[in-house]
Amino acid sequence: MQRIAPPQSAVLDAKTISRAKLGDIDAFTSIVEAYHQRCLRFARAMLRNADDAEDMVQEAFVRLYRALPRYEERQRFESWLFQILGNVCRTANTVHHRETSRFVDDEIALERVQSDDQPGRSFDHEWGESVRKALAEVPDYNREIFLLHYIEGFGYDEIERMTGVKQSALKMRVKRASDQLRSLLSKEVGT
Amino acid sequence: MSGAERDPVVNRAIEELQRLPALDRHAIDRVVRAAAAARVAPAELDPADLPRTRSIRVWSALGFAAAAAVAGFVIGELRTSKEPSVETPIVTAQTSSDTQLRAVRGSAAMLDNMTVAQEFVLEAAQADRVALVGDFNSWNPKANAMTRDAAGKWSTTINVVPGRHVYGFMVNDSIFTLDPRAMKARDPDLGGDGSVRIVGRP
Repeated sequence: MQRIAPPQSAVLDAKTISRAKLGDIDAFTSIVEAYHQRCLRFARAMLRNADDAEDMVQEAFVRLYRALPRYEERQRFESWLFQILGNVCRTANTVHHRETSRFVDDEIALERVQSDDQPGRSFDHEWGESVRKALAEVPDYNREIFLLHYIEGFGYDEIERMTGVKQSALKMRVKRASDQLRSLLSKEVGT
Repeated sequence: MSGAERDPVVNRAIEELQRLPALDRHAIDRVVRAAAAARVAPAELDPADLPRTRSIRVWSALGFAAAAAVAGFVIGELRTSKEPSVETPIVTAQTSSDTQLRAVRGSAAMLDNMTVAQEFVLEAAQADRVALVGDFNSWNPKANAMTRDAAGKWSTTINVVPGRHVYGFMVNDSIFTLDPRAMKARDPDLGGDGSVRIVGRP
């Protein structure tokens, strides 16, 4: 498949991360600025209650900041951040699943999509709504890997290190998510 | 690659999902403030760090309080049998149990605030700097720098509250190192190991 390159956030230099490890709040602010949008995008797509996305992203960054002294440079910073965020989202989904049924927050999520501001980029509201509804039907464990791979741009080897799931199983999950999306969305586009 | 993955519909969906939300400066400020507050907060306020110790403290305090109330009541009853006044023992019993309850509350608060001196040691002759980091200092490498002796042993002694503590050593400001003499604990959220020390009450 022709891989669609995901939009990349600013690459942080090692010095910024080292300064943040020592508690430099300005360096940490640079980290948040570099990754906040991507984290929010991931959390909105991952969470059953997308309205919690900002809170969960904040929770992930707080955990990251507390754990920064334990961060080892040989680990890729970005994958470590998304590993923490993935854990936070999974926990939130488990709690939400106990409390409510699925899909109740689609409307809230779609309202937010409308408010996004990207000049010069065409926006098809109905298509966006369909994609999010279809994605919400993909099981969590397939959706997360699909998002990490196609939306956040992580390779299978890196996702294996992040999740502990073998690459063959990861590919299968992405395939299942893709199949399900295609099946649900083909009806929308009339193919 | 499967046919499904090559599907243009899926590609279009991926493009849609790759749209980034707008940069929200206020949200970023909130995150930074929350993180800064979390890092400076005393670790003993984090219920996740000391769940057992805390529950034991609460139940111990309640137990002491109940015992104090019973003791006060018994004392009151004994006095009733010796003294002619009917009202006095009841007042005495209440006063006694209230006093003891206050004392118990005070003791529990003191125990909560009581710390125990603990020495942490790392053999690292090649290191230029070593700092102790852990839940007790919010993983702040600036909080507890260690001192080196002639043999290359780094050590520091700090006061920590009783309970279970996870910690490690920051070598040369960048390498997180476990204590080879301590138990290890996996942190499921952060995916890393930490050393564990159980600190008993004084």
